[in-house]
Amino acid sequence: MNPLRKKNQSRTDNVEENVIFFFWNNKKYFANKGDSIAAGLLANNQHVIGRSFKYHRPRGIMSAGVEEAGALVTIGNGAYTEANVRATTTELTQGLSVYSQNAWPSVKFDIGSILNVFGKFFAAGFYYKMFMGIPPFEWGRGTKIWMFFEHFIRKAAGLGQSSRLPDPDCYEHMHTHTDVLVIGTGPAGLQAAISAAEEGKDVLIVEQDYAIGGSYLSQPDTVELETQIEVLKKLRVTILTRTTAFGLYDDKTVGLVQVMPAKEYKTSSKKPRQQFNICRAEKIILATGAIERSYAFINNDLPGIMSVSSARTYLNRFNLLLSKNIVISTNNDSAYETAIELENAGATITILDAREQIGNKLLQQIAGLRINLYLGSGVVKAEKGLNTSSIGKINLVEFANNKWRYAGNLSCDCLLISAGWSPVIHLASHQGYPINWNEENACFLSSGDNKSIFLIGSARGIWTKAGCIQSAKEIFQYNSRKKHKPSTVIGGWETPLAPLYEICLHNIKGKAFVDPQHDVTSSDIRLAYQEGFISVEHMKRYTTLGMATDQGKMGNIIGLALMAEALNCSISEVGVTRFRPPYTSISLGALAGRNRQSHFKPIRRTPFNNFSIQNKGVMINAGLWHRPWYYPMESESLEAAYIREATVTRRSLGICDVSSLGKIIIQGPDSTEFINRVYTNPFAKLPVGKARYGIMLRDDGLVFDDGTTWRLSENCYLMTTTTDNAFSVMARLEELLQVRWPDLSVQVTSVTDQWGGCALAGPNSRNLLTKIIDDPNEISNESLPFMGIKQVLIQNVPCYVARISFSGELAYEVYIPSDYAQSMMEFIWENGQKFECCLYGLEALGTMRIEKGHLTNAEIDGRVTIQDIGLSKMASSNKDYIGKVLKNREKLTDSDRPQLVGIFPKDKNKTFKAGALLNEAGYSNGHPLGWVTSVTFSPALGHWIALGFITGGLAYVKDKNIVLSDELRSNFLDVEIVSPQMYDPEGLRLHG
Amino acid sequence: MIQIECPFCGKRDQSEFSYGREGQITFPALNADENSWYDAVFLRKNTYGRQIETWQHTHGCRSWLLVERDTVTHKIFSVKLAHTDWQEQIKKTT
Repeated sequence: MNPLRKKNQSRTDNVEENVIFFFWNNKKYFANKGDSIAAGLLANNQHVIGRSFKYHRPRGIMSAGVEEAGALVTIGNGAYTEANVRATTTELTQGLSVYSQNAWPSVKFDIGSILNVFGKFFAAGFYYKMFMGIPPFEWGRGTKIWMFFEHFIRKAAGLGQSSRLPDPDCYEHMHTHTDVLVIGTGPAGLQAAISAAEEGKDVLIVEQDYAIGGSYLSQPDTVELETQIEVLKKLRVTILTRTTAFGLYDDKTVGLVQVMPAKEYKTSSKKPRQQFNICRAEKIILATGAIERSYAFINNDLPGIMSVSSARTYLNRFNLLLSKNIVISTNNDSAYETAIELENAGATITILDAREQIGNKLLQQIAGLRINLYLGSGVVKAEKGLNTSSIGKINLVEFANNKWRYAGNLSCDCLLISAGWSPVIHLASHQGYPINWNEENACFLSSGDNKSIFLIGSARGIWTKAGCIQSAKEIFQYNSRKKHKPSTVIGGWETPLAPLYEICLHNIKGKAFVDPQHDVTSSDIRLAYQEGFISVEHMKRYTTLGMATDQGKMGNIIGLALMAEALNCSISEVGVTRFRPPYTSISLGALAGRNRQSHFKPIRRTPFNNFSIQNKGVMINAGLWHRPWYYPMESESLEAAYIREATVTRRSLGICDVSSLGKIIIQGPDSTEFINRVYTNPFAKLPVGKARYGIMLRDDGLVFDDGTTWRLSENCYLMTTTTDNAFSVMARLEELLQVRWPDLSVQVTSVTDQWGGCALAGPNSRNLLTKIIDDPNEISNESLPFMGIKQVLIQNVPCYVARISFSGELAYEVYIPSDYAQSMMEFIWENGQKFECCLYGLEALGTMRIEKGHLTNAEIDGRVTIQDIGLSKMASSNKDYIGKVLKNREKLTDSDRPQLVGIFPKDKNKTFKAGALLNEAGYSNGHPLGWVTSVTFSPALGHWIALGFITGGLAYVKDKNIVLSDELRSNFLDVEIVSPQMYDPEGLRLHG
Repeated sequence: MIQIECPFCGKRDQSEFSYGREGQITFPALNADENSWYDAVFLRKNTYGRQIETWQHTHGCRSWLLVERDTVTHKIFSVKLAHTDWQEQIKKTT
């Protein structure tokens, strides 16, 4: 096949300024502006474009549209690399680099094609049958043999490779609202947009191609298209090209992705490469067209075999006559129009029509032209030509006595196939609208809901242009409240098509492809039947039919037909798998949009953030928060730093940022009652000016969260929550007040961001506070006892001071209005220098709380009861609260539940990690007795310690030898189980 | 993607809301017997079709809403505030 470019034609004029260059596998070629990659390659006589997925067979261009299963290429270089791009739908731009895929060392000579020689072994399910256990004795079954072979199998299979560099482009999200959305710009789509706009509707029309016009573009005459576009522009209809409607979703929502032309996004980095558009419309009109099918015959994947309609597109849109001598194999009327146009362009045509007779009108149209017509005829096998990978010869069959029989061969370098049309009903299927098999036209049809989702044109199975346009006009001739009853006749050919899915003769062997992109052959479908995978869903997964990037746009129906034949039933009985979005593949970048990195996961910085960074704090992510982790001195390691910080704090004074704790203001006459119902322990008698530690449970009785709640005045409280649960506790309180107890007069407000919280801990903490506070008398031991809170002035700024301690030392938490936090912290730190003082981070905070047996979400993990964490004394029996009833469920009160304990290594030099399991000595396998939740080196005790849970708690394991085992790190040691309050259990330090 | 008509904020995308739970659940008194708490916490109707459910307009006015929705078609029939008094008041003012 040697395609010819016709000269001086309208759309892609072959004048010099319209010539562009591009690179195909690093070699420079020339093409016309407006060419698709496929057109550019054809014009340069390049026919082998890639190698197939499994057998590495040479693959060429099979179509001119989104259904393309052969010509997949990689475009661009470096970080701009884009793999698995359809050559048929991508515009060629000046200097574009295009590469073939899945071939080594080159697409013309590919080592991998050796697989094709052994092809008969590689049937559906081959790899699994073979390498899960090698036949005949399933050698190696149950071993890691599959893992071993999988590596090589994956290497041999596959498509293009994407770049491993970060994507340099930006992507945008947007929302569009419109009265009418029309998808597709063929004759039906354009007419629908015009009719809607004439009614005064706001109309958006989208086209996946880079040119507007749909099937108009494949017609010889463009006058009608130009007129329609003019009308659209006058009516101010919004037209988006390169825009794919990839999915139809609930509530009349359509997902659109618009791809910017290559040259635009590269010259200006501000422009997004793709735009993801969530479009909501009152009416959605699917004018999505139809896709021409092939049929299965041997070697039907050879380069040089294409759909009939694509030859028409290459001729009229790209001025390319594929060959001087063209064979067309068809079963319907649609191919004749193309045949006549190709003949007019100078080709000699041979038509093999599977039907035994055709209508007189068609016969008259081709009379006198260089068109040889063979009725009752088809192709059984294609063979490649001499010195080429492309088609050179075909074996013919003729229909006699109700079956095919061999009828000689014919030399042929370009074979066009049309075995019927499949309307694009994908979007209707996404929303689950009924899909029915139309026997006469051999296709699946859907009609949407005819209220807000309509299918028109060839997407509804109408084959004539006039019929398509009429179907578009009809929608708007009805009152929109009534249900639309389409009157246009489905079909429209002079002679009905003869169903044709496969031609095979028992004495001619070879591979006949059903799904060329995934190398699924007709014998694979029969194998699926033989092995019992007869449901379409099973067949699809067993053979991988329709699971490649084209999602079986060409092959699915052939597969269904072959299964129907094997089952001896009709295609409608076999059924069809539901289509899923996206219609064509869309990039992950478009889905992410600008929600990348910190735009995906925004950073929350505490009001002391700058102070921490100025003081060399190393930050760590805690949820969304950036919190100071440790403050290294010079080249100090994390471990050295936290040990020093904890030591200095216990010896003298430490200052820590605790702003990320959730803070909720609870106000109203019923706030005491509300808090009393939420916490397990009594709050009714909490005096003003005091704080109390509380535990809240879920409805099911398990522990939800803990924290202190401060009574600021008679009817106003400040509740603190853990950092992790700040959001969910807030939503929970709102739910209780709005849904469950609307009779309670209480308001809750989150004030987490309004206050910076700073903990001053250590024996010198009161001394420091005395120096910074405006009136030192307010914080004496008498006026601010343990768990006391007070509003005070620091530098004339009203702050709260609470005498609470997470570290176990004499400690205060100072809450400073966020706006003053930075300067106030500098002031505190400056005064801290009068003592031995340090800043401490999350790591030292953790160390000190583990020493004291205080809890975080490592322990309160949603599975523990209040008894499990040793706080059953806090569960009041004198009042009712959430979770009270269900916490007493059977099994939740068992004494042999895992309970919180402290853990010491018996050999004090040994270290271990969280996640290790605890067992009785001698029982290292099976269900463990317990596990380790938090581990630290304890500077106060001088060795590693941990918190964890163990069955039955301290009492149960008192006389037992417990072994800690960390199988992953091969660490095993004897441990001693102790009380979780490992340091200063009497709490003497707390009171200074 | 469905849209929910928040009585305060108007029609907003589902992504602004968080699903709560089935709305027909009535939680018993805090001191009720174990069985009625068990039913409320663990038994779900899992309705095929129309049901009332609670949603919170988390990234909006933070109201808890009672949404009547078809679990098959996702069609929404009605939206009102879960807080009975507030719903009364908003009815009066609009």
